[in-house]
Amino acid sequence: MGEVPVKLTVNGRPTEAEVEPRMTLADFLRETCRLTGTHLGCEHGVCGACTVLVDGAAVRACLVFAVQVEGAEITTIEGIASPDGELSPVQSAFRECHGLQCGFCTPGFIVSVTAFLRDHPSPTDDEIREALAGNLCRCTGYQGIFDAVRRAADAAGRERS
Amino acid sequence: MKPAPFEYHAPHSVADATRLLAELGEGAKVLAGGQSLVPMLALRLALFEHLVDIGRIDELKGIERREGALWIGAGTTEAAVERSPEVASDVPLLARATPLVGHFQIRSRGTLGGSIAHADPAAEYPAVALALDATMEVASSRGRRRIAAGEFFDGLWTTTMEPDELLVGVSFPVRSARSGFGIEEFARRHGDFAIAGACVAVEVDADARIERCAIGLIGLGSTPERATAAEAELTGRPVGEVDAEEVGRLAMAGLSSVPSDLHGSAEYRRRVGAAMTARAWTSAASEARHG
Amino acid sequence: MTADPTATEARYSGRRVRRVEDARLLTGHGTFVDDVSLPGMLHACFVRSPLARAAILEIDASAALALPGVHHVFTAADLNPGVHEQWHTSLGPKMPETPRPPLAEGEVRFVGDPVALVVARSRYLAEDAAERVEVDYEPLAAVVDYGEAEHAEALVHPSHGSNVIGGFATMPASALDEVFGAAAHVASATIHQQAVTHVPIEARGLVVDYSQATGELTIYASTQTPHEVRLFCSRLLAIPEHHIRVVTRDTGGGFGQKVMVQRDEMCLMLAGPKVGAPLKWVEDRRENLIAGGKSRQEHADVKLAFDADGAIQAAYIDFVQDCGAYPTPWPVGTAASVGMLFPGPYRVPRAGFTVKTLYTNTVGRAPYRGPWQFESLAREVLLDIAARQMGMDPVELRRRNLLRRDELPYANQNGMTYDNVTPLETFEQALEMLDYPAFRAEQAEARRAGRYLGVGLGNYVEPSTPGQGYYGTEAATIRIEPSGRVNVYVAGGSSGNSIETTVVQLAADALGVKIEDVHTIQGDTAVTGFGAGTAGSRSASMTAGAVRETAKVLRERLLAVAAHVLKAPVDDVELAESRARVRGEPDRGITLKELADIAYFKTRKLPPEVPAGLEASARYTAEVQTIWVNATHLCTCEVDMATGQVKLLRYIVSEDCGPMINPSVVEGQIAGGTVQGIGGVLYEHLAYDEDGNPLTTTFMDYLLPTATEVPRIEYGHIETPSPGPGGYKGVGEGGAIGAPPAVVNAVADALSPFGVTITRLPLSPARIVELIEGR
Repeated sequence: MGEVPVKLTVNGRPTEAEVEPRMTLADFLRETCRLTGTHLGCEHGVCGACTVLVDGAAVRACLVFAVQVEGAEITTIEGIASPDGELSPVQSAFRECHGLQCGFCTPGFIVSVTAFLRDHPSPTDDEIREALAGNLCRCTGYQGIFDAVRRAADAAGRERS
Repeated sequence: MKPAPFEYHAPHSVADATRLLAELGEGAKVLAGGQSLVPMLALRLALFEHLVDIGRIDELKGIERREGALWIGAGTTEAAVERSPEVASDVPLLARATPLVGHFQIRSRGTLGGSIAHADPAAEYPAVALALDATMEVASSRGRRRIAAGEFFDGLWTTTMEPDELLVGVSFPVRSARSGFGIEEFARRHGDFAIAGACVAVEVDADARIERCAIGLIGLGSTPERATAAEAELTGRPVGEVDAEEVGRLAMAGLSSVPSDLHGSAEYRRRVGAAMTARAWTSAASEARHG
Repeated sequence: MTADPTATEARYSGRRVRRVEDARLLTGHGTFVDDVSLPGMLHACFVRSPLARAAILEIDASAALALPGVHHVFTAADLNPGVHEQWHTSLGPKMPETPRPPLAEGEVRFVGDPVALVVARSRYLAEDAAERVEVDYEPLAAVVDYGEAEHAEALVHPSHGSNVIGGFATMPASALDEVFGAAAHVASATIHQQAVTHVPIEARGLVVDYSQATGELTIYASTQTPHEVRLFCSRLLAIPEHHIRVVTRDTGGGFGQKVMVQRDEMCLMLAGPKVGAPLKWVEDRRENLIAGGKSRQEHADVKLAFDADGAIQAAYIDFVQDCGAYPTPWPVGTAASVGMLFPGPYRVPRAGFTVKTLYTNTVGRAPYRGPWQFESLAREVLLDIAARQMGMDPVELRRRNLLRRDELPYANQNGMTYDNVTPLETFEQALEMLDYPAFRAEQAEARRAGRYLGVGLGNYVEPSTPGQGYYGTEAATIRIEPSGRVNVYVAGGSSGNSIETTVVQLAADALGVKIEDVHTIQGDTAVTGFGAGTAGSRSASMTAGAVRETAKVLRERLLAVAAHVLKAPVDDVELAESRARVRGEPDRGITLKELADIAYFKTRKLPPEVPAGLEASARYTAEVQTIWVNATHLCTCEVDMATGQVKLLRYIVSEDCGPMINPSVVEGQIAGGTVQGIGGVLYEHLAYDEDGNPLTTTFMDYLLPTATEVPRIEYGHIETPSPGPGGYKGVGEGGAIGAPPAVVNAVADALSPFGVTITRLPLSPARIVELIEGR
């Protein structure tokens, strides 16, 4: 099929393009929007490296066609830190806790964890592990990643009280 | 792993969607959440000339009481089902099954209707719908009809819907008093498809006898299965005297097409299935007795 | 007293310094190879064989070429003649290597063998075109089971004349018949480990950008060895090395799969100069699982002889390894190291080994984290079997046989001499961390309640930091810039090992500079001196040596200039906090910025013998052939009797990697390797059917552990210096060596009431149920 117009907001910026329907949201972000922070680790919806927020929900961008999310607000890893570059609490926690090594899976984790903690601000350890199970890492053995989520949750908890 | 090209259609109503399905014929496929379909397209295991995206059809979304049952639109995401207080109170088995469906990122997009229409025997929702005797509401350009869950699942990834029919909603009976529910599955890792599992619904009478029960089996056939022989055997018995292990054994008897693959032989799956049934029964029976 | 120019006050080394890589990686601003986009760039996609072995009769690319946007379809006839030389520097040109045609020529030898290379305007189009390339195959009998390869009629490589790649033996098993015959107890088993694959989350890929006008080639590569990529490519294409630049900013994991150029990458190097535009290939996951390279597919007959007190008298291993159709590199050397390391950290008076490597029509072997680790798996599993047979506690059996400090250096009977290791100490520390007696009590109580818990351990010694030949040197360039900031250039090859942070920590300490004033540039062959990259757990020690040698030159210069300017004896001057100062007089000092200003712009103020500028390059040469490392892995588990599922309860690693440059980096490396080891025992299996068709081609079937399958890892550190710079040792591979035996032994211990002996991996839940049922 020829190209189809698609209009959506990416990290707060309105974006318009003409794309083939088969272009995944992941490829749209990487190639059309030049936002290469969203990574392709498997392209069949298991590794989670491509996770982005679509209208706030954590979603595997390799399993969505760009045309499906016409009108949506997309947040990628590039939109997680504040506009002046200050790391988000989740990003800071990953840094503090040695939660990344090669960094390839990291954007997917950061986005997933951001959504998870927003929706579950007081998770148990087991809930954290289950929430992390949708993202694969080969470098860290998940130790620093778990610690980072625990730390970010605890810090947010202290802030609220 | 990029999908092959396809024509994309995004109708805004059920009528438009069914008209498209009728016109486009066999080369068309419904695209709902895409969590099962898109990987197949990416791997080029499946090829469709046309995708009909039903994601913009509002009529397909929603959770509400209709005619005394809880109706869930086919386009409702699993995440919405997970969050729903109505589902939690009216159809607890569905609420408990939902966190087992993949991972939360999958549930953001995956739909209840998509999961049921995809009819994977190792998925949770088909077995739950079967166990609860849900009713599927389907539409086509010829009109609407209802299919009972017991007549819906036809074979591996196959339903009795016509190629041009669209699943529009599923009605689940609302739980009765003195009922209990349990779902247990065994997967290699958290969120994987079950190797074997069971969902159980039990209702007892005022004397704690089993008035009715349903055992839906996951991953133990080419479709979700009801352990009807076991159910018949258990009905009428005092729930406190039923041994959970016995339920497991009964449920495994008579299964004729238990899968065998890299993750386990048929014999292994029966063993696991028996254990999962026993565990699910224990939860359900306890809840039915004590509330 | 002359100031020792090598002395440094460690301010950052030993601390959990936050990583400098994180700023870009946490925000999605890393540059992995697929992030590289050049004007006019084209995209490549391979057509791969669907058959394990077949003759290629004909390739018809006409339908593919008819698609708009498709530029080329290359076959062997197009690319292969372009090869001038192809060999890996670490092995040299004379190694009897496997014939390695870039594209399959005449015959395909495994499912996934690259047959044609499609070049198109996008990867989407390239895949569309690849589907339309028609290849006419005549299927041939394939050799799939390596147990049958030696005597199979079909030859994987007819030119080799045999399916045996090569072998080595120190002595036949019969040479030890007497000592085995006289032993109070002999334990023997045949132990099998299954094929697994590396699975870096970033698959392989590169961009090849050739300039016709200048004859220069730039390669952006996902690699652990940028300089080797350059050297290899230079020989391959007969392009002078100085006309090739390889740039690697970020690599998303490698674990050995990206240490050596493989055939797919060779094809891109050959095709790049032909297409008139930059050419990108990024492997997809299915390709990576089918064709990226496998490891661990092997078995051995092993035996240990004991006296009546359980002291080991002799050890023998007869080891056989499946290397697939195109192993990279020639595998006999690594196989021999399995034999050489088999005695492990134990007192073994007599030992011998035989190793044999075989071709099969499956994906080729590629080195994977601790490529020889089978020796530890086999030895540690057999020790537990022996202990149970002899009615001894496996812990006590080991205690009697582990080497003590006073026995070092210890020359094992198979050709390895260990030193500076502490196997008994890590063993005892791990047991103490667990509270071993308390666990045994807990286990007994659980058994009475019908629950099956187990404890298992694995001890190992590991050769790190190979100190000879290609791996034996490492260089650094340090530039203190005119403003006083420091740039450190090293070869790099980091694929997650935190070398950028390591270098910054070491350089800051070596120069007495604040860490925020130090920056590193790595992985660009135009800018960094030759280095062998990250392999063999070499980076910590070699990089420390390179930084030390280079910093020494600059320290001397800085101290001389400062002493001259401050009018103080050079021995009284020290460097700290980006400043030179007179010891004991903190106000009498000069900043690095001021020193740089003099060195670059006010050179008449320099002392007579000191040259202008503050730049230095030096190359460190390794002082020893091997730096030995050791650790003990200890874990507990519970086995679910109904499902066979294993739940790991506690996981303890007591390790001695010498002084730690950055404890977080050390623990991170151990954790990553450990989880790969756990995956290799319980979840991962690169499986084939009997026709050689791969069965685990997606992440639905090739299972990696997730956060829910992995326990919390507890670390105990012992720091025994090595003879190398800083006393540092390598730590990258150890987790993958120690974990598999610990997990296997824990499961076997849990199931010991059932008389279960585990000698075959993987341990899927279904397999564990079979073991419980006695099958």
